Amino acid sequence: MKDLEQFLRDNAPETPEEGQFLLETNARLDAVEGIKKTVDGERRRGRIALIVALVAGIVIGSGLALVLTLYPVQSLQSSALSKILGKLQEWKELIWGLIAVCSVALGILFMKKKEVAF
Amino acid sequence: MTRERFISEVRACQGRLRRFLTSLCGDSALADDIAQEALVRAYVSSDRFIGNFKAWLFRIAYNCFIDNLRRVPTPSAQLDSPEVLHVADGSASDASFQHEELRRALALIPEKERTAIVLHYFEDLPVKEISSIMQVPSGSVKYYLSVGRDHLRQHIRL
Repeated sequence: MKDLEQFLRDNAPETPEEGQFLLETNARLDAVEGIKKTVDGERRRGRIALIVALVAGIVIGSGLALVLTLYPVQSLQSSALSKILGKLQEWKELIWGLIAVCSVALGILFMKKKEVAF
Repeated sequence: MTRERFISEVRACQGRLRRFLTSLCGDSALADDIAQEALVRAYVSSDRFIGNFKAWLFRIAYNCFIDNLRRVPTPSAQLDSPEVLHVADGSASDASFQHEELRRALALIPEKERTAIVLHYFEDLPVKEISSIMQVPSGSVKYYLSVGRDHLRQHIRL
């Protein structure tokens, strides 16, 4: 028993030079950094596009809601405009819903911790 | 963890990491490939690292070794199987091993026994640390060491 244990302890394999290995490690880490930067950049661009879309949803929705509140359909003379406003009036709940959804999504997006992993 | 700190930690334990993988694979070139893969994986998740760097790195390296085994299936590791003996006898020797007999004997024993033996006798790690690297209970490590020694004794003439 002791012979085998001593034999194992005395005959551990040797490792070759570390220089080449560390050079290769550094090269691979450079590649990882490059990929990480690209992925982070794409993620940032996607995040910005999403924020822009949500802000646009809130702004347009709020604008429409404001128009509907300030100008009731009956008060308008132009028939074309009153038709459009009439349609919008039908979708009033949907517009408020859209504003609420966009606001909540924007809030979640800002609260969410930025993840580094890829 | 910054890149500088990561590199300095790697510099401190790369020799032992490569020896561990060379002992598992029996081939220092393949061991270096697995070590590089393990280091990339470790670097990517180094932000979440807490604790003993060496044990953490060895665990990642061990998982990479297991993944590599699954990618490149070897003949079933039956100890007395003639095919396995043939593969081991015919495989090229590796300059890292002072004793070719030891390299071949390690190649013939099951992977878990080999890992426990290598970590305990070559890397001088205690059972508790081996159990954390292999992610098995300490009792299983002791079992692998005991059975592994018996199996090695069948292939090594002292």
